[in-house]
Amino acid sequence: MNPLLLFLIPLLPLLGGVFNACCGSRLPQRLVAAVAVLSVAGSFLSSLLLWPLGAGEGTRTVLFSWLQSGGFRADAGILFDPLAAVMTLMVTGVATLIHLYAAGYMEHDENQARFFALLNLFVFAMLCIVLADNLLFLFLGWEGVGFCSYGLIGFWYRKTENASAGRKAFIVTRIGDLFFAIALLWLFREFGTILIEQINARAVELDPLLLTVLTLLLLGGACGKSAQLPLMTWLPDAMAGPTPVSALIHAATMVTAGVYLLCRMFPLVSLSTTGMAAIALVGVLTALYAASCAVAQREIKRVLAYSTMSQIGYMFFAVGVGSVSGAMFHLLTHAFFKALLFMGAGCVIHLAGNENDIYRMGGLKRKSPQVFWLFLIGILCLAGTPLTGGFFSKDEILLTAFARGDGFSAILWGLGVLTAGLTSFYSFRLLYLVFFGEPRQAEKGHSVSPLMLWTLPLLALFGLFGGLLNLPHLFGGHQWLSHWLGQPAGVSLSLGTELGLLLLMLIFFGGGWLIAHLRYRRFPGDEQADWRSFLLNGWQFDRFYEFILVRPYRTVCRFCWQGGDKALIDGIMDGISRLCLHWGGYARKLTTGQVAFYLQGFAWGLLLIVGWFLLSAVK
Amino acid sequence: MIVPLEHVLFLSTILFILGLGCVLARRNLIMILIGVEIMLNAVGLTLVGASAFWQQVDGQIMVIFLMAMTSAEVSISLAMVVYLNRRKGTVDVRAFDEMRG
Amino acid sequence: MILTRLATPVSGFTNMATALFYILGTITVIATLLAITRRNPVHSVIYLVNSFFALALLFYLLGAPLVAAWEVIIYAGAIMVLFLFIIMMLELAPTPEADRMGPTWWQWLPVLLLAVALVTCTLLLIGLDTSVAQGVPHWYATPRDFGYALFGKYALAVEVVSFQLLFAAVGAFYVGKPEARANKREEEGA
Repeated sequence: MNPLLLFLIPLLPLLGGVFNACCGSRLPQRLVAAVAVLSVAGSFLSSLLLWPLGAGEGTRTVLFSWLQSGGFRADAGILFDPLAAVMTLMVTGVATLIHLYAAGYMEHDENQARFFALLNLFVFAMLCIVLADNLLFLFLGWEGVGFCSYGLIGFWYRKTENASAGRKAFIVTRIGDLFFAIALLWLFREFGTILIEQINARAVELDPLLLTVLTLLLLGGACGKSAQLPLMTWLPDAMAGPTPVSALIHAATMVTAGVYLLCRMFPLVSLSTTGMAAIALVGVLTALYAASCAVAQREIKRVLAYSTMSQIGYMFFAVGVGSVSGAMFHLLTHAFFKALLFMGAGCVIHLAGNENDIYRMGGLKRKSPQVFWLFLIGILCLAGTPLTGGFFSKDEILLTAFARGDGFSAILWGLGVLTAGLTSFYSFRLLYLVFFGEPRQAEKGHSVSPLMLWTLPLLALFGLFGGLLNLPHLFGGHQWLSHWLGQPAGVSLSLGTELGLLLLMLIFFGGGWLIAHLRYRRFPGDEQADWRSFLLNGWQFDRFYEFILVRPYRTVCRFCWQGGDKALIDGIMDGISRLCLHWGGYARKLTTGQVAFYLQGFAWGLLLIVGWFLLSAVK
Repeated sequence: MIVPLEHVLFLSTILFILGLGCVLARRNLIMILIGVEIMLNAVGLTLVGASAFWQQVDGQIMVIFLMAMTSAEVSISLAMVVYLNRRKGTVDVRAFDEMRG
Repeated sequence: MILTRLATPVSGFTNMATALFYILGTITVIATLLAITRRNPVHSVIYLVNSFFALALLFYLLGAPLVAAWEVIIYAGAIMVLFLFIIMMLELAPTPEADRMGPTWWQWLPVLLLAVALVTCTLLLIGLDTSVAQGVPHWYATPRDFGYALFGKYALAVEVVSFQLLFAAVGAFYVGKPEARANKREEEGA
């Protein structure tokens, strides 16, 4: 197989995106959607066919040299190793399904061309991140997804809050990107190369302190993209975008880019103990924080947004405790069931008549049993119901953490288990509020397009049986994913301990479910309390940031604007121009327009010259 | 020898100054042009005198070119005078100050 | 050769030519002075023609018969007649208030200063440089030499000047009629 064929994977969506951007607005909407879906599907098919190239060490191929200057060289190059192969397949697969779903979801929208162009462009950028063989190319994709995310969150830009949500996402992630960019430049300074393979191979040479700093910088970048503490405030607001966007970008792909980056740079990252601890800590704290917030949310998509944040926290946790395969496993299963949940939420919103508030839903089970069952599968996976995909992946992470045995890991493990309980609680709370009890919505909903509905079962299947990808030995599996990634699990616990841990997980899961069942099976209507609004607003982080960052910044800006720009610079400029104007007014009077006056000028000039010569002659 | 060269130069200087005075002091467009003609002729006299002094024809040829240019200049300036007179009904230079700043 | 011999003066002629030079110079200066001070432009032009005739004779005296002839034909003949023609066509009456001499002292000032400067220059020349005191000799440019120089050495310049004359003709024609009409329409429109 020609390795250059690998470029088909990112280039097909790019082609579709450019095509739709250039001439999509003049074509029939159906054709636009078809082009978008087919280009991503083509990308999926090629990654399936090219799968063998990813085995073992993987394949590295270069299309052309992008930038070259002195010792610096950045190629448009692809590194298709096992990690990238798995991620590529997931991204293109999920993206294909979501594109199909979006074709149904957006069928009444006027700006389909813009939507699908951005969506395709996003897939291209995401594949750049996944496939890039050097950090600069990866960074290109990194910024590309940020831009597309901005464009898609603010897709319905006529509403101010949507536009500002897009802006917020863009700016907050930009802070993380800054850290990543610094790390990139620093790495180039140290190694003289930006090839990921070489950096990873030579990371051992680095000073431990520097290694820690670099790891923390990379973590900062990953935090921004993946909405982890402390850069997580943008994700809940990002739900202002269309639902397929939330499913694709803010559940399955872009937000996992941070995790992927850490996995990609794992050989470097893993050398720093402090860095690893920081990653694990950030992950667990985010998981706990987001789960606690999800408990009180009222908007269906916000619940899911917080749950995404929480699950990505688990993935960070996995990386932090040294299990790339655990992180990737959870990343995959999560991508499937979270995309399923988001798309299910889209259906629910349609069914409930564009109602977002779960307190005003209820009883939708009778309205559409099909959606209910699909949503249920998603919820079961999210809550970590035994034998679903989500259960296995989450269990593996916690197991790895437990197996490390030191005190720090133990505390984190405890928090992780607690979070699992919370997860179970809020998942079932959502399920009960939406599908059970009496209908509370005011408006009559409309039916769901079949295109939307028929993309869900496939995802449900993947979510439900995603556990087979990396089935642990305890259940008779072979841990295929871990072997494929070349990282067989080093966890060796006795059978009794493992069973005990399973039981503990079961108890937490069951406890969460039970509380939700008792409390929300028959939900009366509104409930309001102070601690609730504290959680509802995400621990008031927005207000906190507003207070410590935005307001001082605004003050400084106002000072620079009023004091610096307006008073000082404008003052100087205006002063100069006023001076010129004033004195120029006198000079202007010289231009009388009178020929006689000008002739006088000639004469005086002539006199000056002749007089000068005369004087020098006399001398 | 007819006269010293200085006398020729002196004469042309006087002519030149007279022409200059006409250009500077008169307000009639046509008089200004006449002043220019006088100055040009003063220059012509210098050239012819110099030509005779060195016994070379070049100075005379310069005068021929001078005449040709003068004809060109006069034809255009007089056309302008006609045009300006048509616009304002006068040839007084003080009337034409549209280009003032 | 014959012409050269003809031009070779007898010894008495030297004084005669010198006298003629001063007489013609005086006539030129007086006629010019009168020309620039007349209120009526027609009078000015007539005096100027007078001055140019005297100047033409001066040219002849200085050994430039061809230039002298052209001075009469082109300057006194063509150009001055053109002036006269324009003045009459525009029916320019002598306008006393518009044409009064010396409206302000400062307009005359540069003229006076320049006069002083230039006269000083000339006097300085006379006083300082004794080598040129030998004066302008009797000399005569033959039409032959003149023609060779004009169409040999200066052939390119002749072409350029002929082009310039053509441009001037076109320019004069352009300024003359059609533009004026266009401007008139503009003025009416505005």
